[in-house]
Amino acid sequence: MLESLYKKKKTGRFDVLFYLITLVFLILGARLFYLQIIEGGYYQAKAEGNRLRMVTMTAARGIMYDRNGQILVGSRPAYTVSIMPSGKDVAPEEVTKLAGYLNKPAAEIQKKISDNKDGYEPIRIATDVPMDVVTNIEEHSHELPGISIDVEPLRYYPYNTMASQLFGYVGEVSEEELAEIKQENPNTLVGAGTILGRSGLESMYDDVLRGVDGGKQLEVDATGRPVEEVERKNTIPGSDIHLTIDVNLQKAAEEAVRNQIDQLRAQGIPAQGAAVVALDPNTGAVLAMVSSPEFNPNWFSQGITTAQWNQLNNDKNHPFDNKVISGEYPPGSPFKIVTGVAALDLKKVTPEEQIFDSGRHWLIDKRNAEGEALGWLDFNTALAKSDNVYFYEMGNRVGIENIDKYAKYFGLGEKTGIKLYGEAAGNLASPEYKRKVFDQDWYLGETFDAAIGQSFTLVTPIQMAVLLSQVANGGIRYQPYVVSRVDNKDGTPAEIFGPKKLGVLPVPKNVMDLVRNGLRDVTAEGGTAGDIFKGFPISVAGKTGTAENAHGQDHGWFVAYAPYDKPRIVVVALVEQGSFGAGSAGPIVRDILAAFFNVQKAKLVNGSSNGTNRTNTTNSTRVIEENN
Amino acid sequence: MWQRIWRDWDWTIVICTVLLVATGIIAIGSATHVNQDGLQLSDLVTRQTIFFLVNAIIVIAIQWIDYHKLRDWSNAIYVLTIVMLFAVMVVGTSALGAQRWIQIGPITIQPSEFSKLLMIICMAKLLESRINKLNSFKELLPCVIYVGIPTLLVFTQPDLGTSLVYMAIFIGMTFVAGIRMRLVQIVAGAAVLLAPLGWFVLKEYQKQRILVFLNPDIDPFGSGYHIIQSKIAIGSGMILGKGLFGGTQSQLNFLPENHTDFIFSVIGEELGFIGCVIVLLLLFMLIYRSIRVAYSCNDTFGMLLATGIGSMLTFEVLVNVGMTTGIMPVTGIPLPFISYGVSALTTNMLSIGLLLNIAMQRKKYMF
Repeated sequence: MLESLYKKKKTGRFDVLFYLITLVFLILGARLFYLQIIEGGYYQAKAEGNRLRMVTMTAARGIMYDRNGQILVGSRPAYTVSIMPSGKDVAPEEVTKLAGYLNKPAAEIQKKISDNKDGYEPIRIATDVPMDVVTNIEEHSHELPGISIDVEPLRYYPYNTMASQLFGYVGEVSEEELAEIKQENPNTLVGAGTILGRSGLESMYDDVLRGVDGGKQLEVDATGRPVEEVERKNTIPGSDIHLTIDVNLQKAAEEAVRNQIDQLRAQGIPAQGAAVVALDPNTGAVLAMVSSPEFNPNWFSQGITTAQWNQLNNDKNHPFDNKVISGEYPPGSPFKIVTGVAALDLKKVTPEEQIFDSGRHWLIDKRNAEGEALGWLDFNTALAKSDNVYFYEMGNRVGIENIDKYAKYFGLGEKTGIKLYGEAAGNLASPEYKRKVFDQDWYLGETFDAAIGQSFTLVTPIQMAVLLSQVANGGIRYQPYVVSRVDNKDGTPAEIFGPKKLGVLPVPKNVMDLVRNGLRDVTAEGGTAGDIFKGFPISVAGKTGTAENAHGQDHGWFVAYAPYDKPRIVVVALVEQGSFGAGSAGPIVRDILAAFFNVQKAKLVNGSSNGTNRTNTTNSTRVIEENN
Repeated sequence: MWQRIWRDWDWTIVICTVLLVATGIIAIGSATHVNQDGLQLSDLVTRQTIFFLVNAIIVIAIQWIDYHKLRDWSNAIYVLTIVMLFAVMVVGTSALGAQRWIQIGPITIQPSEFSKLLMIICMAKLLESRINKLNSFKELLPCVIYVGIPTLLVFTQPDLGTSLVYMAIFIGMTFVAGIRMRLVQIVAGAAVLLAPLGWFVLKEYQKQRILVFLNPDIDPFGSGYHIIQSKIAIGSGMILGKGLFGGTQSQLNFLPENHTDFIFSVIGEELGFIGCVIVLLLLFMLIYRSIRVAYSCNDTFGMLLATGIGSMLTFEVLVNVGMTTGIMPVTGIPLPFISYGVSALTTNMLSIGLLLNIAMQRKKYMF
């Protein structure tokens, strides 16, 4: 009885046990169904994320060639040390070791890793690592899992600071920029790590120069060590551009600027910087462009240090500005070309008419700069000696409206349209301008000032170069340009840029001949630049200038073209706070012309750079010179 | 005897066991990258295979011994178990925060694994005379003390997993021994109420495991790492799996320890849902047969032994597969027959030997 009762109970218990076991297996089966079938896709993506890493391969940027095919800006191979993110922090010992090899603070490396450890792209620890360090790291690679060394093209400027504002520099796209670019164009080829042009031609022609970055998909193990390459997309290098710059002339120009600024400073003149441009007056092609002080764009390619950045950023003389196109200065005496052309063309004066300089103008007490008096002067002498009183009278005769009209013929007051970022338009002194800005009436004295380029008029060096080109070539205003050709990927020309006419000066040849004669006599004996060009075998037409500067020493100008009879080159130089134009800017221009025409420096009377010529000259010359 | 083995063995159990161990050896091969490194004698695959073959011989050999003799040896077995567990605490080597291994020559053995089978024998002897008499706490108390001593010893190693296995076995066996349901209800109720107090008994790493189990993302690269990576491995296997040796999680070492406790993740990743279900079905068949053997056994000692073995296997499968799929905390219980581990494999195969012995003798009475 009891036995049979237990039998029944036993059967019940075993049934329950069986159901419980079945339940356990059903739960496990259901769980597997959920993980593998319902959520399978999600976990598969997770597994792929675990094992796959995207490595961007930087495309080489296009090359910038000079007019003779010399490489101005290119790329060179550089070793990059990166670490594969594995989601975790890297062991401190490993970081310390790596820091030791790279000679970098361990904390900096650790921070980079921590900030990026959840990404799927390698974290760049150091760029442009020297060969011996690379060898060292490779020898110890077993202690450093997840560290990879890649060769990448690095933007390289073989001449370091040369034309740095013109060439520009490059930098990696920032996160914010990337977001902005993607918003503008969702199909952009720019991705994280892409190198973008930041200024100058690098920025202007970024679309051309920048290639298409490639990438490879790597399979990594749990430590981040790459195991296999799964997929690869090759890089497409950027296209090349050809500049109108002549590398030899550019070198000569930079050397001339450097020497001259050193000389001026040695004399106690606080020269801050300079802007120099050389053009072909028959086309508008820029042959050389210097803005001083400069910077070294290689610093940016290699990853600029805080110290380097602070040095550039705190430089009061604006190393990043391309002063040739963005610097606005009073034109000073070279503006007398405009006033003179207006007076002759409007027949307000004949070339033979003599005007008496008593040291001051008879209507308004405005004098020569140093108070000197040059007596009876005709047009040619007045221009060669840069007499102020004569040109006050010219201003008086033609009036401010006509001065403006002719200034506009020469392209002043508007951008030249050179294809570069940051060009300034300058300004023209006019009654309208004074009314607008100061709400005041125009006075005759201001016309006098405008006539000699000392009023509200502001010009850029490139505008002056265009102005002088018109004088040199007979009046055609060409748009200045620095890029003559953009290539296709295969090196065939995609686009060719040549001379572009912006306008023609409506002035007869005989008037221009008179002006040209005057300018030639500037560099002849007795002219304001006679001393500097003494013995110079090519005849040069030029004009000195000293632009009054309310904030410090005057700026020195010298503008010139040569040869006088068949002009091939225009050179404009401006030395910021360089004082008198002949002494500060003149020698720079002379040295550039010497380089252009292959003139032996030994043949020049005054040596290579002539900051000292002022002190060597006789007293009388000095007076004339300072009177410009 | 050979004829009886041929005629009376439960061949379903034999086939399931062989298939499970074979699956395990292949999975261990994949987990230890034999496909990349080539097969060597020192490999875990070789060791597991050798131990399987040796154990197979032992399983056959013990058929000549009548399992009823174990009844007489139970006191000695009980003492042996206690001594073994003490020995671990004294001379054991520790790994992963627990002291579980004893080094004997080239072999490390894990006494807690063997103790599971030994405890089944002891409990069967204990409960045999108490069938249908477990009606009050007074009658239950001696049993609780008897089982409680080794449980506490294992627990302090600390080996929470094995102590839980003891409890599972005890619950399964007392259940079929006809314990009064009222007692079960009271104990279960008390356990639920007292469970929070258990928190203070747990070691720091055990608490961490439970916290991480509840939310693996609090420590994704520490204690949560295994859970997360195991789930990714299994989930990413989807229906058909990535193919043998094709699991990225296991081949690229995202899943450490994957030849032992986490072997099921390798199977899930490489053989997919289908492979997992087949493995679970084999285990289910095996356990189902063990319960059948228990039910149809004519003597209560055999019935209790078979029930104990079935309970042990069920609990281990639940905890291990639950752990790899993220529904159970990490407790360090291997997957029976599949995980690498000579102690566990030997214990499980001896259990099968015992089960076959019971099954074979059961038939005797039927004729």
